[in-house]
Amino acid sequence: MSAVTTNTPAQVADFRHRLDITVDWLVIPLVIMLFAAVFSVHFALLVGDWDYWIDWRDRRWWPLVTPLALSVIPGVFGYLLWDRLRLPVGGTLTILALSAAAWVSRYMNFHGFGGFPMDMVFPSTFIALGLILDTVLVLTRSWFWTGLIGGYLFGALIYPLNWPLLAAYHVPLELHGNMLTVADLMGFEYVRTAIPEYVRIIEHSTLRTFGGVVTPLTAVFAGFLTVLSYWFWVWIGSLVSRTTWLRKII
Amino acid sequence: MKILKILAIALATACVGGFSPLAAAHGERAQMPQVRMRTVHWFDVTVSATKLDVNQILVVKGSFIPSDFWPTQFPSAEETAFLNIGVPGPSFVRLDSRVNGVPMIRSTSFHPELQYNFEITLKARKPGRYHIHPVINVKDTGPLIGPGLWVEIGGDQAAFTNTAKTLLGQDIDLESFGYANAVHWSILWAVVGVAWFVWWLLRVPIILPRFRRAAELGANADQMITLGDRRVALGFLVLTLSLIVGGYMYADDKWPITTALQAGKIAAPPAQRPAVPLDVRMNEARYRIPGRSFRVALTVTNRGSSPVTVGELDAGNVRFVNSSVLQVKPADADDLVASDALHVDGGPVAPGETRDIVVYADDALWETERMTTMIDSPDAIVAVMLFFYDGDGKRYPVEVGGPMIPVFG
Ligand SMILES: [Cu+2]
Repeated sequence: MSAVTTNTPAQVADFRHRLDITVDWLVIPLVIMLFAAVFSVHFALLVGDWDYWIDWRDRRWWPLVTPLALSVIPGVFGYLLWDRLRLPVGGTLTILALSAAAWVSRYMNFHGFGGFPMDMVFPSTFIALGLILDTVLVLTRSWFWTGLIGGYLFGALIYPLNWPLLAAYHVPLELHGNMLTVADLMGFEYVRTAIPEYVRIIEHSTLRTFGGVVTPLTAVFAGFLTVLSYWFWVWIGSLVSRTTWLRKII
Repeated sequence: MKILKILAIALATACVGGFSPLAAAHGERAQMPQVRMRTVHWFDVTVSATKLDVNQILVVKGSFIPSDFWPTQFPSAEETAFLNIGVPGPSFVRLDSRVNGVPMIRSTSFHPELQYNFEITLKARKPGRYHIHPVINVKDTGPLIGPGLWVEIGGDQAAFTNTAKTLLGQDIDLESFGYANAVHWSILWAVVGVAWFVWWLLRVPIILPRFRRAAELGANADQMITLGDRRVALGFLVLTLSLIVGGYMYADDKWPITTALQAGKIAAPPAQRPAVPLDVRMNEARYRIPGRSFRVALTVTNRGSSPVTVGELDAGNVRFVNSSVLQVKPADADDLVASDALHVDGGPVAPGETRDIVVYADDALWETERMTTMIDSPDAIVAVMLFFYDGDGKRYPVEVGGPMIPVFG
């Protein structure tokens, strides 16, 4: 083709525009799939059973372990997307990708292959936490404030965010003279040979006299830890962003 | 330390994907014979039916005695243990599980030498043919698998029902309870999340132009965020926080009475059983490889009032039966019973008498059940359960154990 020699500046700009669009449609789905894969593995390793089973989502460990594990990928990729593209979607998009993968996995593996009813194994929802990080970032345009405000809310709100999904399973019932929650009953009835009752790492009674305030105390503690965790992972993201090999790739 | 342990457990469970088909195959053969012989002795394991339909009840019953020769490198069942059932996934639901009449909903402790009678009530859920094993999971040790029996479920899983009543009087269907609600909330959040992404996606192309622009602006790249972006972000933040607070209030209003997940151990009382009027000492145990012959020399003192002899020897779920004392037929093709594999040199031990006897258990099951790998073990100690019978047919289980010496010629 001899087009190169006859192109007007307008044609060049138009060609470049169409090329940019093509790049988007190729790269964005790939990035989303990458997020889904990386985040799923990471989340399975660090949270795993706590989020697989309805009778593991307690009020002391699940709301503490989950935000700590959950803030890693949004921290690293959130930094990269903001630093390189000024796109404040790192929190929402990574968690959306994780959620999509989690739903597929629970439906295919746990329900389809494993045979568990979906009401015992559905994933919790975390998308709101990603939205908090991203919107606070746009409003403050500061990693310090995003970590402090966004990170704190991320950790503190994970339990109230999921309470509309989980509360029904904490209704008490009686089984052979013992009080259980609906979630405990499901865990007992739907046999898991490889996951005996004692491996659940959930709240046990303690001598510490926190009484009935386990949930708010865990929320405050989880919020505080998530601030530190999120700052740390954003810093890791900044290191990644600064490395020369990445610049070469982009 | 605790965090490390949590990580290790999370890692391990992630690796098996939350559930393993362990019980589907004969996983018990994979365990070292020492583990099988020296942890839990199972006996009298029965199932109430071998064929049933979806929604019908199956009762798995039996007894076990934790071994006195428990390998010290494994945490014992005296610490934390859970009576379980080995089936592939929830092909049954467990309605009840008892040890000596006490419901075993959570974990417990089982002590050596004491007898525990268990009864597990299951309801058939998924059609198929299953090899069912009672299992005791011992914390930090693993699953100790009891004898397996085949059970076939017919019918249609769609017909399966499983309901419960809450303490607030609500009838619930455990197959679907709360699921539609969880789906609705999940969809709502997904919509809000996708809407946020779409706001940024609307200005496609976004990758290369924004990359160039950000590089160009350098320290001033924040200029790329417009006033409109900030307004939309504020809107999304307010919406998100309102939905969280609103959702929490909605849940609090809809389910005002809830409680914590229940944890903590339940005590399992041992069974009452008649005193065993016998003193039994194992003098030696030898396994002769060419003959697949296990030989135990014993000194038996009978303090009872009736002559006794050995009717059965159980080693790691394999039963060697003395056909001159009792008749046992295998319940199915995979029931590990050698009906005529035990003989005793030294006749019945009379009341008041102390006598040396030799018990031979000879059968290919030693080989096929991979019990012979005990020869190659770093810990060649064995334990077996002997069942003595007196003149009235009364049975006395006695565990003996000690070092085992292989005979190669
Ligand atoms: Cu089996």
